Amino acid sequence: MSEPMKSSKTGHVLEIRDVAVHFGGRGGLLGKSGPVVKAVNGVDLDIARGETVALVGESGCGKSTLSNAIVGLQAPISGSVRISGDEVVGASRRELNDIRRKVQMIFQDPALSLDPRSTVGATIGEPLIVRGVAKGKALKERVATLLQQVGLRPEHADRYPHQFSGGQRQRVVIARALALEPDLLICDEPVSALDVSVRAQILNLLVALQKRTGVSYLFVSHDLGVVRHICDRVVVMYLGRFVEMADRDTFFANPKHPYTKALMSAVPEADPEVQRAKQRFILSGELPSPSNIPSGCAFHTRCPLATEICSRERPELTPRADGARVACHHA
Amino acid sequence: MSTAVLALSQRLRRVPLSVIVVSVIFLVIVLLAIFAPWVAPADPNRQNLLGRLKPPGFEMRGITYWLGTDDLGRDLLSRTLYGAGVSLSVAVLSVVVSSLVGVTLGMIAGWFRGEIEILIMRLVDIMMSIPAILLAVLTVAVLGPGFLKLVLVLGLTRWPRYTRVAYAQTLQVANLPFIKASELAGAGAARILFHHILPNIAGPVLIVATAEFGLMILMEAGLSFLGLGIQPPASSWGSIMSVGRQYIERAWWIVAFPGACLFLLVFSVNVLGDWLRDQLDPRSRTR
Repeated sequence: MSEPMKSSKTGHVLEIRDVAVHFGGRGGLLGKSGPVVKAVNGVDLDIARGETVALVGESGCGKSTLSNAIVGLQAPISGSVRISGDEVVGASRRELNDIRRKVQMIFQDPALSLDPRSTVGATIGEPLIVRGVAKGKALKERVATLLQQVGLRPEHADRYPHQFSGGQRQRVVIARALALEPDLLICDEPVSALDVSVRAQILNLLVALQKRTGVSYLFVSHDLGVVRHICDRVVVMYLGRFVEMADRDTFFANPKHPYTKALMSAVPEADPEVQRAKQRFILSGELPSPSNIPSGCAFHTRCPLATEICSRERPELTPRADGARVACHHA
Repeated sequence: MSTAVLALSQRLRRVPLSVIVVSVIFLVIVLLAIFAPWVAPADPNRQNLLGRLKPPGFEMRGITYWLGTDDLGRDLLSRTLYGAGVSLSVAVLSVVVSSLVGVTLGMIAGWFRGEIEILIMRLVDIMMSIPAILLAVLTVAVLGPGFLKLVLVLGLTRWPRYTRVAYAQTLQVANLPFIKASELAGAGAARILFHHILPNIAGPVLIVATAEFGLMILMEAGLSFLGLGIQPPASSWGSIMSVGRQYIERAWWIVAFPGACLFLLVFSVNVLGDWLRDQLDPRSRTR
């Protein structure tokens, strides 16, 4: 449905250009410089209005760092992040505060993303209060509406987070994120801390809210089953770089990068017959440290297809016949 | 009306007996301290040199000295009652001053980090490496003795413990996602510190405060003993005990009664503090 490769600047709620985020490197113990952790290493990404893009990768690949950079909680060392046209990188505190009206975040663990000492109503109303959007009776009504939008009842506003289940808490978190009617919602593993039984409910809620409000999602996850359910487009990240980018159907029908194939083969199939017949694509070794990224293609140390060129030259993301873009010499 | 009474009795039933008992003790001490001028049987400063160091129950010229007399023949019961007010108000005020200063500095160090953090925490290290009593003695020696100065001295020398606790707790809480969410919501530093971090670090701070409360009474006693605190003839529990210490072999009651009151007060404050901390936690408030 979406056209990810379209270069048009209009209609994109998120435009990332060559963003790199590094940590450490200076001010180590006794003035020695510590190792530089290259968490994100030059990535480009556009997200259209109403689109859902999944960011997939194993832990430590830079997904969360990239999400933090997008909302301005983590300053990139280079590159540009635009949200509905406004530049985040280098923005002043005030500018950043304005931009954050348009981008909000949902966190992994709903138990930790709500202040245990604030009522749910106070939590949802906070963005409205601090920005002077609503107060008094109007605030109360707005909070009630938001609660209803996420499937809770207005009288829940006076309760504390511990009085809710995990799924209900995540609904509260979603309501807070939607309070300012953002253009982009970054969902950082929004269902991985939830019981399997309530995951689908939360995912369906996200889909329904998107239909109603036209919000875009950047869906950070390592669960390909969830990704398949909700996303228009998938981006695979490995050690701070994108290695594959494709529309959902293309992605799942024909994964190309060996890393993607390995991720796919790790997803269990419901049907044991299929599971047994499935060709397993198992990686050897651990994820290398982001402070010591392998030369050439960062994946060559674990790649079954690796040849000599892979350790010398870093493959760029190149378009393939079916529209996917892959960074691999051999795929 | 009757439903309100019922609701109250139901809430009271959930309060543990120990808490009810110490609340009563605490309230009695506070009320006696407030109404000392009306409750005290005698003028706490009237000397009776013929009736010095007499034991509890001693009677002379139609006056009964229920708790005995001190080294100048003054009624120990009256002095203890009057002293309660002084001890209590010094302790309460100095805990308020030191916790306000300490917690604010601790939260600032833990939230802003960087140079301000180094500055505050090194200052804490310095303050904590100087014996508190020495610091207090020095300050009083410069400022001179007096009730308000005593409060200020205690308040401004005892803040580092609060800072340490508030700092460590702030570091922990500041990394939680709900703080990140507040930042994204557009909340400023003041709102995050006082709206989200303070309520979440209040428990440990309250524990420190109740422990410090007892310590403040003892510090006041020590300073009064050195002649740097409450000036005679006014009395505080500390000053009564300091004087009584010299006569402990002949007149145990001078130390024993204010000491027992001190013990009861500090003990009840500690128990109440524990209970209050649990009550402040909404997770334990409802079933």
